Amino acid sequence: MTSVKTQQSRNDDGLAAVVPATAPPQLVKRRRKPLTWDKVSFFAVFLGLPLAIYLLFVIWPFVQAFGYSLTDWSGFSPNQNFIGLENYTKIFTDDIFMKAMGNNILLVIFLPIITIILSLVLASLVTVGGSSKGQIKGLRNSSFYRVVSFFPYTIPAIAIGIMWGQIYDPSGGLLNGILTGLGFDQFKDFAWLGDKNTAMIATMFVIVWGFVGFYMVLFVAGIKGIPAELFEAARIDGAGRFRTAVSITIPLIRDNIQTAYIYMGILALDAFVYMAALNSGGGPDNSTLVMAQQLFFTAFSKGQFGLASAMGVVLAVATLIFSGLVFLVNRLTGGDKDVSL
Amino acid sequence: MNVQHQSVGRRGFLRGALAAAVLVPMGGTIASCAAGGGGTTTGPTGTVSDTNPFGMAEKATLDAVIFKGGYGIDYVEFAGKIFEKTHEGSTAKIAPSTDIAQELQPRFVGGNPPDLIDNSGAKSIGFSTILAQLEDLTSVVEAKNLEGKVIKDTLYTGVLAPGTFDGKLAALNYVLTVFAVWYSDSLLKENGWTVPKTWDEMYTLGEQAKAKGKYLFVWGKEAASYYLWMMMESAIKEGGDEVRLALENLKEDGWSHPAVQSVFTAMDKIVKAGFFKPGGSGTQFTAAQAQWTNAQEALFYPSGSWIENEMKDQTKAGFNMTGAPVPTVTTGSKLPYTAIHSAAGEPYIVPSQAKNAAGGKELLRIMLSKEAATNFAKTKLAPTIVKDTIPADGFGSTALVSQTKLLADAGEDIFTWNFIDLYGMNKDQLVVMNTFLDGKSDVATLTSALQNITDKVRNDSSVKKIEVK
Repeated sequence: MTSVKTQQSRNDDGLAAVVPATAPPQLVKRRRKPLTWDKVSFFAVFLGLPLAIYLLFVIWPFVQAFGYSLTDWSGFSPNQNFIGLENYTKIFTDDIFMKAMGNNILLVIFLPIITIILSLVLASLVTVGGSSKGQIKGLRNSSFYRVVSFFPYTIPAIAIGIMWGQIYDPSGGLLNGILTGLGFDQFKDFAWLGDKNTAMIATMFVIVWGFVGFYMVLFVAGIKGIPAELFEAARIDGAGRFRTAVSITIPLIRDNIQTAYIYMGILALDAFVYMAALNSGGGPDNSTLVMAQQLFFTAFSKGQFGLASAMGVVLAVATLIFSGLVFLVNRLTGGDKDVSL
Repeated sequence: MNVQHQSVGRRGFLRGALAAAVLVPMGGTIASCAAGGGGTTTGPTGTVSDTNPFGMAEKATLDAVIFKGGYGIDYVEFAGKIFEKTHEGSTAKIAPSTDIAQELQPRFVGGNPPDLIDNSGAKSIGFSTILAQLEDLTSVVEAKNLEGKVIKDTLYTGVLAPGTFDGKLAALNYVLTVFAVWYSDSLLKENGWTVPKTWDEMYTLGEQAKAKGKYLFVWGKEAASYYLWMMMESAIKEGGDEVRLALENLKEDGWSHPAVQSVFTAMDKIVKAGFFKPGGSGTQFTAAQAQWTNAQEALFYPSGSWIENEMKDQTKAGFNMTGAPVPTVTTGSKLPYTAIHSAAGEPYIVPSQAKNAAGGKELLRIMLSKEAATNFAKTKLAPTIVKDTIPADGFGSTALVSQTKLLADAGEDIFTWNFIDLYGMNKDQLVVMNTFLDGKSDVATLTSALQNITDKVRNDSSVKKIEVK
């Protein structure tokens, strides 16, 4: 088992899970062979075509959107005037858009951390958190918990939003029903999604609820790839469960965590579906408004596609900055060192 | 596009049929995406006559896209059948859509919009963005309907106002919506209560209702603006037309007008007294409406006349939904108590670039004729802008009867406003209203927040303003 290696994070795109390298790296350099029709047609179909489609459907729309962001295009007429960076000045002086951006930042800070910590704890429990005698194993019936906690992920986001909207309903909702049933009368008719102090927290809870199971399964897969001997050795050395998790599990599935962090962060920067389903108007005092929602309103109800395109560009740049930050932090904390087992 | 062609050419890839098959349509898409715009394509024209007032070509195809909301599209299909009967050989293709703006945006940009559009629903196209591309529909209302009467003379007062922008009749709003304070006639009678005519009376009734464990109002988070509209209506009745014009023209002190302020103050008193069922800002609006129609936790609900149809399945038997005019502040208001806010909704538009614009107008003319209009009122229990299509029993609907009565009582005192939809302000106003109805702000906060929304639009030079006189 000592030959199992995790892929180096430096060269991959950060989104791949830990994959054991099955074959030894090719060290012998091969000589270039002359191009044959076979080869050329192979390139054409498997390289050229995807590249063309990629350029056409991914890169070109980006370029177009940036172009539109410099105009005052209304979206419905063929006419547009070039107005330079005016849209960008407008965005950054608009209090509602800045509020939306602030909410996105709030989401990016809290959502990944909460989701990942929770799912790591759960993943540890169902894989290595079981009885401290005998073989390393998870809690009893752990496979049952694993399946159950994955359930929320199988529900479409919009259905989750509608369902929780009903649960949070002030007068007929399950949550207030339970709370008042337990004697907390101050929650009678309390609007979880209608109070600016609770709306964001309630919304975040829903998103976390929907994703914990998925990331748990991802981490379980990662932990299963760690040889049991390591955990056994740590246990013999007297490490408790917490110490094992911090010193063994986390460093060894670091790549998975980074991947999860980026995924969750991108979701937090978007979050459109959850926000639209739970508080379609942006919530009390715009406390749950996100950039994607504001973009949508600007484009389709105000008819300012130029401005909306500029918002899209800002959103894309924010996403890139976020991914860059995650990679940077990971590297600064020593994540690029190869961890071999 | 250069980049792609070079890479294609250099490597000598994709010479085969596959490449052509894939790239040619894509190139077309790009060309149309890039807001290049198409020229006006006017189809062949036919001879103008009383039966064909817009000169539609013979054996033409009509392409209509209709918003599929509460009213469905079957009423247009009904008119489409008459269209095909009247113009033999022509076909009417009527397509539903729930997302007008997103679905039709590429067609507008590409220069091939449909011939007739019902630009309605939450995702409709903002009028200020397409105004220049629409036909003036004055010719439609000046034409004769199928019965030979000039259409203009068969319509209710003021119904053309919501579709008139800068003097151009760009949209014909087909369905007449009456805004009122709706209540259960049976419930009020049972308790010996009468409908309050001023806000003071409303407050007194609130106290009586509270004694019986009922609230005056309920609201839902997506529909908090109904209360703003109610307050605006009351303010316009109190202060007269100048209030409406100040708001419509985004005046700097529009929301601080004494009439508006007096209504805000009256409403604030009701909110602070706890006559609103708490928690509305977290309640989905149809759930809130059911608390009124089914659980009867509240007495009144301000809304448009669609409310009966919307809550049909969730209304308690014997509810007898009835509408009353919005209360005024004083009995000496400038407009009488019976004045109402009534707006024609479901704006039908005919794009100038449409291939068969004449056909679009022709279908509109048929819809405004007696047979199609009566069919609408009967199947949807809502009046169209065409008068005298509803019998005295209102096809068995109390709400429809009271709408007809409200319209008759109001006479000429019917008004509406456009600025909220025109500038897309509803979403921002909702936020402010939810806070206000929740009792978490006061008159001053509400005023400055609403004024702020207005000011933002007024100071945005990229938004085209339309002056209302």
